[in-house]
Amino acid sequence: MASKKTDISSYIPDGKHSGSINYGELEVGTVVSQQSYILDKKSVQIYISAVKDTSVQPETSASNIAPPMSIAALSLRGVVNDLKIPGGTLHIGQELSFLKPVRVGMHLECVAILSSNSVRGEYRFMVVDLNVKDDLNDHVMKGKSTIMLPVDISVQ
Amino acid sequence: MLLYAEASGDFNPIHVNKEFAEKSQFGRNIAHGMMVAATISESMSLTFGKSWHHSGKVKIRFRSPAYPGDTITTSGQIQKMVLSEEGTEVRCSVLVTNQAGETIISGSSSVIISN
Repeated sequence: MASKKTDISSYIPDGKHSGSINYGELEVGTVVSQQSYILDKKSVQIYISAVKDTSVQPETSASNIAPPMSIAALSLRGVVNDLKIPGGTLHIGQELSFLKPVRVGMHLECVAILSSNSVRGEYRFMVVDLNVKDDLNDHVMKGKSTIMLPVDISVQ
Repeated sequence: MLLYAEASGDFNPIHVNKEFAEKSQFGRNIAHGMMVAATISESMSLTFGKSWHHSGKVKIRFRSPAYPGDTITTSGQIQKMVLSEEGTEVRCSVLVTNQAGETIISGSSSVIISN
């Protein structure tokens, strides 16, 4: 009996995070990405500059609270990289719940799990659940990303 | 968009590679959806302050791409306010449009304000 695949690396031919992924084989429940990050000041500043966020109030900057969407961007980084999202992929939907403010410098654990993988017409739709915890093991963000990619580039 | 690619780690060529994007269905580079969506979070944070960091929720659909040079407008409208033990939950519709009035992002958001 085949063993259940629970990690994205088991879908990559050489077992490492290089090579191609057959997205049609990915099972619901697969851990797409599990990454640890330090939310450093420079990264947050780059994020704020990129999106021109004017909501970073003096009160929050004094306590070094990061924009919530910068946490979302960080959590998606692992998905993009570990799932090896091909060039034609489109991000079509996003749900996010911000549960706790995150201070700059905080260590974050980001886990992404495939919760749906289906084909409609010429496109594959994948839904990935996002979970981010802080140093205290508290959930700081949860989310759900829906991406769409052409079926014909699912196997590379 | 290159700066956002650096910030997010998303270097999908549809966003950052001109030649790739020209051959795509869009014919040119498109902005990262989450970069545009950041304006929703910014608006909610400006309106509701710290409450957004503690209890903000957003559910959105990326309807159309935003292109470099587009002028986008982000708006939100309170749809309902619900009292609970935690506080007052403010439920809003959110919308991002471009200069032609086309919908880029639509969806909903909510936040709980302590009573």
